[in-house]
Amino acid sequence: MAGFDFGRIITLSLFAATLRMTTPVLFATLGGIFSSEVGIFNVGLEGMLDIATFFAVVGSVQTGSPWGGLMYAIVACLITGFIFALIHLELKANAIIVGLALNIFATGLTRYLMVEMLGATGFYQSDLLIGFKLVEIPLIKDIPVLGELLSGHFPLVYLAFAFVAVVYVILYKTPFGFHLRSVGEKIEAAESVGINPQKMKYIGLMMSGLFCSFGGAFLSLSYLNMFSENMTAGRGWLALAAINFGRSKPVRSLVACLIFGFADALALRLQQFGLPSQIVLMLPYVSTLVVLVFSAISDERKKKSLAAKQRNTKTMEAVAVE
Amino acid sequence: MMNLSRKSALNERWKHMLLEVLTQTANYAVILLLSLLVGALVIFASGKDPIASYQAIWQGAFGNPIKFADTLDRSTVLMLSGLAAALAFRTNVINLGLEGQLYAGAFASALVGFSVQGLPKHIHIPLCLLAGIVAGGLWGLPVIILKLRWGITELVTTLMLNYIAIRFSQYLIAFPFKDPLAPMPGTPVLEATARLPKLMKGSVLNIGFIIALVMAFVIYWFLFRSKIGYEMRMVGYNKDFSAAVGIPVNRSAVLAMLVSGALVGLGGAVVIMGFFGRFLGSFSSGYGWDGMMIALLAQNHPLGVIPASLFYAALANGALAMQSATGVPQTVVVMVKGATMLFVTVKVFATFFKRRFGKWLASTSDA
Repeated sequence: MAGFDFGRIITLSLFAATLRMTTPVLFATLGGIFSSEVGIFNVGLEGMLDIATFFAVVGSVQTGSPWGGLMYAIVACLITGFIFALIHLELKANAIIVGLALNIFATGLTRYLMVEMLGATGFYQSDLLIGFKLVEIPLIKDIPVLGELLSGHFPLVYLAFAFVAVVYVILYKTPFGFHLRSVGEKIEAAESVGINPQKMKYIGLMMSGLFCSFGGAFLSLSYLNMFSENMTAGRGWLALAAINFGRSKPVRSLVACLIFGFADALALRLQQFGLPSQIVLMLPYVSTLVVLVFSAISDERKKKSLAAKQRNTKTMEAVAVE
Repeated sequence: MMNLSRKSALNERWKHMLLEVLTQTANYAVILLLSLLVGALVIFASGKDPIASYQAIWQGAFGNPIKFADTLDRSTVLMLSGLAAALAFRTNVINLGLEGQLYAGAFASALVGFSVQGLPKHIHIPLCLLAGIVAGGLWGLPVIILKLRWGITELVTTLMLNYIAIRFSQYLIAFPFKDPLAPMPGTPVLEATARLPKLMKGSVLNIGFIIALVMAFVIYWFLFRSKIGYEMRMVGYNKDFSAAVGIPVNRSAVLAMLVSGALVGLGGAVVIMGFFGRFLGSFSSGYGWDGMMIALLAQNHPLGVIPASLFYAALANGALAMQSATGVPQTVVVMVKGATMLFVTVKVFATFFKRRFGKWLASTSDA
């Protein structure tokens, strides 16, 4: 541990790694935003990611293409989201409990199907498993610093960041997004103008599934082409923390995801430098807590300064009246 | 006249209780049947015999007295974990951090168990149990601080603390407290004076099971017969109302978190001192998560936790027997567990049965 050289740890490739470690959490976060916008705190993101991770592998093996894997994951996750909605909305089960049950069901299902469909226990790795290929961006790749940072990632990395803008536009610039948000904001008002909240909640939960399927496919078909138990490693939960931090706003949540991604990347890097992996791997979770505290503190300050401002204007008004 | 109304009131009360018992019995019968059906469908889909598989599970869990006792032992930590979840959920504290609190309790008890030497059994055992209780409770402290000071939801913080507890305990057994002789990463073996006395020859069943049973009744008494427990349940039903009538809402929530952590910490201590004999990195097969499911299955009733944890223990112990007898992967039972949890939350059956039995009872009293 002697000669700890920060110049060798904080490098350009660390930031490039940050982008790719951010990707799966970001997908799950964007998915979770849709359900939280219709008023459902989706605790089942972790399970959805798990299912996606598994079916992406199955799809890739059966179709021989990572995009086929992605398709499998999408179908599986849309069905999962639909079943979630069905149980929550039609059978009136508490959403948090359905989410927890989904997580547990997902671990059971994927482990069972791993034995039945892939003939493996614990983890699955094979030459039949085709992962995504790295993509260089034509012009940017030749720019010195930016090239190394932004180019040469897997396609889903670009997609994740592009989706932030897409989700923002959908939610805030289209009538559909307005309807969706109105259901979470004030359900009676939404109903009174003829929006079907039930339908919106179905859509919200299935959108959660859709985005998680991308996240899962990224986890199992990029870098590590494999499926293993606990591969999601709590990223669905980190996504919930990001949504909590970002108050369901896509861009603000992205900031939280980047922080987690950086912590993840740093953890991997520090491990290579001989720090105990167990301690280093705590980093993303500890940083989550720290980030939440900081955001709460800044909120508190804002509220205080706002209150102070209001008091000021009031006294000024009082002075003016006099 | 007065006598009559008193009598009919008594009658009403009995009828109400009867209705409740009938409804719940039918409800649980349906839940059990449907969940087993889900498992059977999965087994059937993979071309195996569901009935033979369930028979193998039954044999593996209750086939002979020793197996039965082992199943009781398996239910011990599940029961404590289930009680912890039930208590927290009753107060509307969504403690998803049971797994982390379990690790904290388990490690603390192991630490006291192997490092303190030369104590007599009747002092060493309570000391280790106490270490587990305190550590489990304290692991919930950051959650309380983050919630009360900054309003951060316990849904997220408890989860993060799970990962931190697991990773940190893995660090502790990889470096400072490593036992080079352990087959898997783990602490040294506990002193003999810290091991829980066995209850039956040939079985792993130990005194921990009795402790868990007693705790179930204690928590029942606490929640339903004590003032503080009453306040906690009130806070769980309706926080704003409770605050309005002067119930200390925050105190109830803090207490729920601490006691919940203490209970599951005790569970960790019991499973280490009774079963494993040392802290192992992978000692928990998700006992904390199972506890949450058990609490939900028991509808957060402390006494309901006893049969619910037995059911889960039987599934767990029977699953291995099933796998070796029929070749059906034991993870099938995880799906059965998930299904029970889902079907319990579905309120449709209970409402249906209540209406049916209610009508029936009304018609019998008219006659």
